[in-house]
Amino acid sequence: MIASLVALPLTLLSLQQGIAQRLAGRVSPNVAAAVEGTGTAASARGLPVDPLIQKAIEGGAKGIADDRVIAAVNLVVSHLDTAAAALREGGASADTLTIAAGAFAVSAGLNGSDITALARVGATPAALTVGLRVAGTLAALGVPPAENIGLVSVSLRSGKPTADLLLLPASVESEVAKGSTPAAAAAGLSRAAAAQGRHGPPPGHGQPPHPPTPSHP
Amino acid sequence: MSEHDFHPRVKQLLDGDLTLADLPPELRAEGEEALRLLAAVDRRPVAFPTMTERVMLAVNTRPSPAGWRRMLEPREIRLRIRPWVLAPALALAAALIIWIAGPRTAAPAPSLVTVRFVLVAPEAKAVSLAGTFNQWDARATPLVRTGPNGTWTATLTLPAGQHQYAFVVDGVRWVPDPGAPAVDDGFGRRNSVLTL
Repeated sequence: MIASLVALPLTLLSLQQGIAQRLAGRVSPNVAAAVEGTGTAASARGLPVDPLIQKAIEGGAKGIADDRVIAAVNLVVSHLDTAAAALREGGASADTLTIAAGAFAVSAGLNGSDITALARVGATPAALTVGLRVAGTLAALGVPPAENIGLVSVSLRSGKPTADLLLLPASVESEVAKGSTPAAAAAGLSRAAAAQGRHGPPPGHGQPPHPPTPSHP
Repeated sequence: MSEHDFHPRVKQLLDGDLTLADLPPELRAEGEEALRLLAAVDRRPVAFPTMTERVMLAVNTRPSPAGWRRMLEPREIRLRIRPWVLAPALALAAALIIWIAGPRTAAPAPSLVTVRFVLVAPEAKAVSLAGTFNQWDARATPLVRTGPNGTWTATLTLPAGQHQYAFVVDGVRWVPDPGAPAVDDGFGRRNSVLTL
């Protein structure tokens, strides 16, 4: 217990030093101090710190005023908190990569319920992380949440390799280029994926379907 | 008849050619005795000692020096633990464990993907790329003008994952990639998104 009491401040000190080193020369001392404090608190809640540092560095590189950089960093923390809570609600093991992917999806326009819905699919953490990134990208392309979550969910349930999941944004863009709306494109792809799931993947492709979604209390 | 000089029918029993029931009643007691003796024999295969075993046998049979013998003799040891003395060492050990276990187990090596970035900017004198992959350093990744119509390109190998970026035109103007999805950057502008 004594070791833990001494180690904890040492770890926090090490974390703060790490943040300070990454921000040195890239942001003002004001921003650096704010991010050190915010980052330390975020880390204690199990949130990743890298997105905060990246946002601060981005603000510094773009010449943004300190107060706006700090506000943007706080918004990132808020997205991370939303994503972490939503993942927990969905029963997913929330590692920092998955939380960061969820926060990106939130920043792109999805909400906590959407993240929870994807978490409840029961995909592996790695597949869920990719699914959240793809969902965020689809949101950035203008796909509405319902069609977005529908498409990513059915793709995750199909158990296809994550490389196939990464092709979804390009597929939507391709349909949009032909004149479809993002919503219609995503819905069409979702129907096609569901039909393929019912009839099974073509020979030599894909993996066995996922087990049924676990029930939640 | 010696102790192990059995009747020929009993020997057939031992060879497995007969069962105890096949023996006449007068030989059954001898048959049972023969089977009992056979069961008592150690049937483990004969094993020659390996080189390690031979070396250890030699080491164990060599007399130990007095100091070693004293160290090897079992005896009671009492430790009095003073936490205030051990705390710094334990704290250092815990910090080292956290430091060693943390980042190495959390970050498997990502696969790499080669990506070509293209921007058509006929009026630009310089174009570069800044994003999460180069710490948003506007000078780190310049694009090369590849044609007379103002096409600027750069080819990068990036780790699989999600990246955000923007083009920086003439060192001052941050421009999202017109060919990629974009999200609000939190500063009133747009960042392009690349998911690999």
